[in-house]
Amino acid sequence: MKIIVAIKQVPERDAQVRIDAAGKWIEESGLQYALNESDAYALEEALQLKEKHGGEVVVLTAGPERVGPTIREALAKGADRAIHIDCADLGSRDALGVAKLLAAAVKPENPDLILTGLQSDDLGQGQTGVIVAELLGLPHSSLILHVEKTDTGLTVKRELEEGWFQTIELPLPAVLTIQSGGNKLRYATLMGIKRAKTKEVRTVTATELAVDSAPVAILERVVLPQKQKSTQILPGNPKEAAAALVEKLKFEARVL
Amino acid sequence: MLTLTATLAEPEHFSLVEKLLLVVLVAASAAGFWRRFGVVLHKILKSKKDPSFHLFPIGKRVWDFVCEVLFQTKVIRQRPLPGLAHAFVFWGFCAFALVTLNHFAVGLGLGFLNPAGFFGRFYTYFAAVFAIACAAGIFGLFVRRFLVRPKWLGKKLSWESGFIAFLIFLLMVTYLASFFVGDADQATRILWWVHSLAILIFLVIIPHTKHLHLILSPATVFLSRGGFSQIPPLVGDEDFGLIAGTDLTRLASLQAYSCVECGRCTEHCPAANTGKLLNPKEIILGLRSYLNDLGPASEEPLLGKYNAQEAAFQCTTCGACEFQCPVGIEHLPIIVGLRRGAVNTGAWEDEYGSKLFLALERGANAHGLPASERDKFIEKAGLPIFDGTQEYCLWLGCMGGYDPKGREIIADFARVMNYLGTSFGVLRKEKCCGDPVRRLGNDLVFQQLAESNLEVFEQNKAKKIVSICPHCVRTIQEDWKEFGTPPQVEHHSEFLARHADKLPKQANGESIVFHDPCYLGRYRNVYEQPRTVVGLAGELVEAPRNHERSFCCGAGGGLVFLGEESGERVSKVRAAELVATGAKTVGTACPFCNSMFRDALAEKGEGAPQLLDIAQLTARGLPARGGS
Repeated sequence: MKIIVAIKQVPERDAQVRIDAAGKWIEESGLQYALNESDAYALEEALQLKEKHGGEVVVLTAGPERVGPTIREALAKGADRAIHIDCADLGSRDALGVAKLLAAAVKPENPDLILTGLQSDDLGQGQTGVIVAELLGLPHSSLILHVEKTDTGLTVKRELEEGWFQTIELPLPAVLTIQSGGNKLRYATLMGIKRAKTKEVRTVTATELAVDSAPVAILERVVLPQKQKSTQILPGNPKEAAAALVEKLKFEARVL
Repeated sequence: MLTLTATLAEPEHFSLVEKLLLVVLVAASAAGFWRRFGVVLHKILKSKKDPSFHLFPIGKRVWDFVCEVLFQTKVIRQRPLPGLAHAFVFWGFCAFALVTLNHFAVGLGLGFLNPAGFFGRFYTYFAAVFAIACAAGIFGLFVRRFLVRPKWLGKKLSWESGFIAFLIFLLMVTYLASFFVGDADQATRILWWVHSLAILIFLVIIPHTKHLHLILSPATVFLSRGGFSQIPPLVGDEDFGLIAGTDLTRLASLQAYSCVECGRCTEHCPAANTGKLLNPKEIILGLRSYLNDLGPASEEPLLGKYNAQEAAFQCTTCGACEFQCPVGIEHLPIIVGLRRGAVNTGAWEDEYGSKLFLALERGANAHGLPASERDKFIEKAGLPIFDGTQEYCLWLGCMGGYDPKGREIIADFARVMNYLGTSFGVLRKEKCCGDPVRRLGNDLVFQQLAESNLEVFEQNKAKKIVSICPHCVRTIQEDWKEFGTPPQVEHHSEFLARHADKLPKQANGESIVFHDPCYLGRYRNVYEQPRTVVGLAGELVEAPRNHERSFCCGAGGGLVFLGEESGERVSKVRAAELVATGAKTVGTACPFCNSMFRDALAEKGEGAPQLLDIAQLTARGLPARGGS
């Protein structure tokens, strides 16, 4: 089975994000980058499928030169080769624009399965994977926690709301967007990193892929979330206060 | 009839047949010796070279050799009675070298030591004194092994040891008996031949048994890696640690064959003492069996039939085994080497281990917490940021930056530094020093952390670093060397002890039992400084196992981040020992020990001693804030 995993490099979880001068994107200089979390799970799913059924895992990513280490990390964890769509203006492209690039790069590969993370940790639109499927005219399913290959195609487990799951069957080829947490991630190894040095990384430029990049959605302004602190004192005796607290945790904070 | 002639008797004349017989026997014995020893030597020399090994500086090697081999300091100090018995046997052998040479020379008519001459009389008497001591020593060791039977020597009785003891005893007795016979007596000839045969049989037995240590261990001690728990750098693109026989270096193989099976390592091992699979002696003997069966060219995994992966990952790297080993075996590079082989290739699968590695691959701390948590603490505690103007850079470490108790220790230590008027600052950003990944054998993440931290220090030009964590201190000082020049770093006990005269002595302080952290004591040889600090706060009480014999808290080697341990908890055993001293307070000098004992003492409930770091013990004696 030939699997393509579309991954994205995003600012590190601990990064101190600042808004750039134009107010339309974040200041990229001095930021540390890492592999998008749900993409890491997509990669893990692909590697496990390969370990079970054989085949090839190709990672695909669009971004400027700085994505290099993220590609190497994916190769180190076990991907066989990589395709890097070199494009410096990723921030100005909308989900459709990025999906067009990815779809154009996927097409000549003729993969059996395309996996990607559910959403990116930076923009979090959750659109790209699904649009890629539409552009390629392939069946797709999102929020996938588990993938099983069958004789006719795939059986996948989807996460629904309120703790419900859905199991559906799909033919191949297909596109799946993977939810975080379905598998245990593997750690990168020294041997993996050394072996990755000799693996193929093919670079194509966005212009070579010749896709229409005019955005249909425009990012007007980026703002940092405002910090708010509000304290409520719950009145009544401890029993009443506790009941009120549970109520609030359940329905306002939604943590229970 | 025996009469005291007061001179060592030697047979007067040897017939040609006797001489020929002697030559044949010596040749046979030498051949028997070489048949096995040649094989062992070949396996050692065919092992991979140690690329990081340097003979120089040689001074420390000579010093260690003189102390540990010639004067048997370690053997005696760590097990006084059997140690002394062993030393008598060893010194007896040394004294006998000349006597033995002369003994065989006499058989060929070439004797050079005249027992009636001035030097000869002196030397044979001199050797006789050693012979008595040696006979007494070997008798004592025989009694210990076969009657006292300490469990460290294993359940199975070693008959070969008994036979060796008998041979040594026989050698001494035949020698001493020769003072009671005359040269012309038939008994002299019998004694001479019995003595000769005992030596020749002994020579054959040496390489076939653990008595190989007679020959190898002086070399092993001399050829040490040059420091405690020295983990050799990986060399080239195909070195991932100890995976197969081809990865065993000459030093590792030499050490495997040097083991004398005394079990001191096992006796002091926290894992072996709490019902875990790991037994450091068996790790070494496992390597020896591997070398015997498969040799150093084998691609067969080292972890499998001969040693268990589970055992390798139960080590707290407390270093008691390496410290105790009388024959110079360096267990830590071997155990960490086996872990490296498993982790660097991804063969080790562990839920908690993977979580730790992923946390350190992506984030900056071993707890997997966002770095903003550290920022919040720095702000709340009002710690100044290091800007290059302050004297000290206070390294927080993962415990000091993220752990609630670790933060208390930092806050108190900062108070003490302020009281002393020492300027200091903390780093705005700090990554884990890499200790847990270093000890667990993840070279990839360790290198990333070490390099990134070294870069920070390169930029900010911090000259002096002080840390509350012995693991950070050791890792920064020693382990970072593989990737650059680390800054000078010290443990807060060293800082506090140096300023002891400026710190208030607390009146009516309670009894405080001090627990030596492994990474401060055995790793850094710092024992008295924390005691000085404890002495300011109260009355120092020693645990039964203290200083270099301190028993681990169970946290080291990355184990604190792994799941529940099998068998009894190491921390529980140590905490019980500390509680049993009756001290009111347990004093620690390592945030990991503190964390382990926090849980172990909590089990004791009411009446458990309080638990305080030396920084906290010091800070409580300072005048209240706002005072002078």
